[in-house]
Amino acid sequence: MSDAVTSGWFDARVLTGAHPASLQPPTGRDAIAEHLDRFALSGALVGAMASWLHDPIGGNAEASAIAHNLADRGVLACWTALPATPGELDSLTALVDRAVDDGVAAFRIHPTSHGFSPGLLDELYAGLQVNRLPLCIDAAEISWPDLTAIATRYPELPVIVSNLGYRKLRELWAALDGHTNIYVDLVDFAAHQGVEWLAANGLVDRLLFATAFGLRDPGESVVRLAWSGLDDATVRLVGSGNADRLFGVRSTAGGRS
Amino acid sequence: MIGRRPTHRIIDVHAHLGPYSLFYIPEPDVATMVAVMDRTGTEVTVLSSNRAIQQDAHLGNSQSLAAVDAYPGRVAAYAVINPWQDPERELERLAADERFVGIKVHPSLHRYPVTGARYAAVWAFAESTGCPVLSHSEHQSPYDSPAMFQTVAERYPGSQVILGHAGITPAGVDEAIETASRYASLWLEVCGSQMTGPMIGSMVDQVGSGRVLFGSDFPFIDQRMSLGRVVCAPLTESQRQDVLSGNARKLFRWRPLPGERGVGQTNE
Repeated sequence: MSDAVTSGWFDARVLTGAHPASLQPPTGRDAIAEHLDRFALSGALVGAMASWLHDPIGGNAEASAIAHNLADRGVLACWTALPATPGELDSLTALVDRAVDDGVAAFRIHPTSHGFSPGLLDELYAGLQVNRLPLCIDAAEISWPDLTAIATRYPELPVIVSNLGYRKLRELWAALDGHTNIYVDLVDFAAHQGVEWLAANGLVDRLLFATAFGLRDPGESVVRLAWSGLDDATVRLVGSGNADRLFGVRSTAGGRS
Repeated sequence: MIGRRPTHRIIDVHAHLGPYSLFYIPEPDVATMVAVMDRTGTEVTVLSSNRAIQQDAHLGNSQSLAAVDAYPGRVAAYAVINPWQDPERELERLAADERFVGIKVHPSLHRYPVTGARYAAVWAFAESTGCPVLSHSEHQSPYDSPAMFQTVAERYPGSQVILGHAGITPAGVDEAIETASRYASLWLEVCGSQMTGPMIGSMVDQVGSGRVLFGSDFPFIDQRMSLGRVVCAPLTESQRQDVLSGNARKLFRWRPLPGERGVGQTNE
């Protein structure tokens, strides 16, 4: 067992900006760089708090600004998408094209927070699948039938579920077992022995290290993985290997090809 | 960067045992809990079984004692007192069995206010013996909001009461800090899905590092979630060690925890 195995992890969820009701301080370029340093991370996928809680499309520029500024630290942007609505968003296909040009590594949707049906985003899912961009979503933002419907219709689209909590293993198992393109990250993946349970059932290649720095305490995920019952090779896989496979293939600006 | 080996001595004062109906818990048995403790540097865990809090206090308390018997050096037991399930009988059992080191009450789950008469015997017992009481506490709960413990502290100033979760939510933590700041008999315990290291730092800053306790709620929730917040919290190493184990050794003096005699106890 080597302590070196706990360095070089890729944080698959970081948020930039302020949350209106959190004791976590607002994050920006410097705070995210310090987060990378503190935990010896190889990089991070950064989304904007503003895209979730204020201006869904306009906030994406904040995520890209961080990614471009910290590109040499392995930081990638995650953009947010909405249904195409006149005056708000012209075209989902055009949005994905702009994201690819900008080096964006993934998209996130917030159907519950932003008040739309996930079924309105077929154009987005198709565009992401073609461009090999993962789709990220919080468990509270979508129903399990809607989630699995997306995974079924777009089998080459990686769908990463975040903020699972500790009460959802029964539903998670049903989703993972039937869909090889569904993943889960470590943000509030709080079930006792949940990480070890995935490993014992041959699904550890579907788990990604992530902290939600800016929203949650990163110590949760860091200690959860470092002091897990996984062997060193599996810790590396969860810490960075799975993220390399999903996010590390970007060859455009801002990527870490 | 954090290594793969823990560097602190840890006592977990808020844990459970066994399955729970609302969701699946992988490996909720005591052997797995001790294996997790070995990885995290946890010397002792004080637990109450999920059966005791959720459905049958008497049978569940027997499960807790069986866990102590299986790992007497690593596990200690709370006796769950359910105000609807013959509390006097379980208090008599607690008094007679030294494997119990404290009392656990769950007013929100049992739907009975912590200030109600059916709990009076619990607080009287705690005051007369020094037996610590761990209670669930939850912001805005009609049964155990942090401010309700003011009544308990005033009626029974000698009872040592741990506010489990310290109110749970950020606003609840503020309320728990305010209440504990005014009553030296109230202690704050740090587990909860919304807890953060800075919130734990606020507890230590305002109540003092001597009355904040590490608990995790495992295997209800993975122990390492709560532990990571404390390990990474903005505390001095002295404060961190108080929270992680020092305070528990001081609090559990009625029946000292395994591994070390309680602070203030002398060898006879």
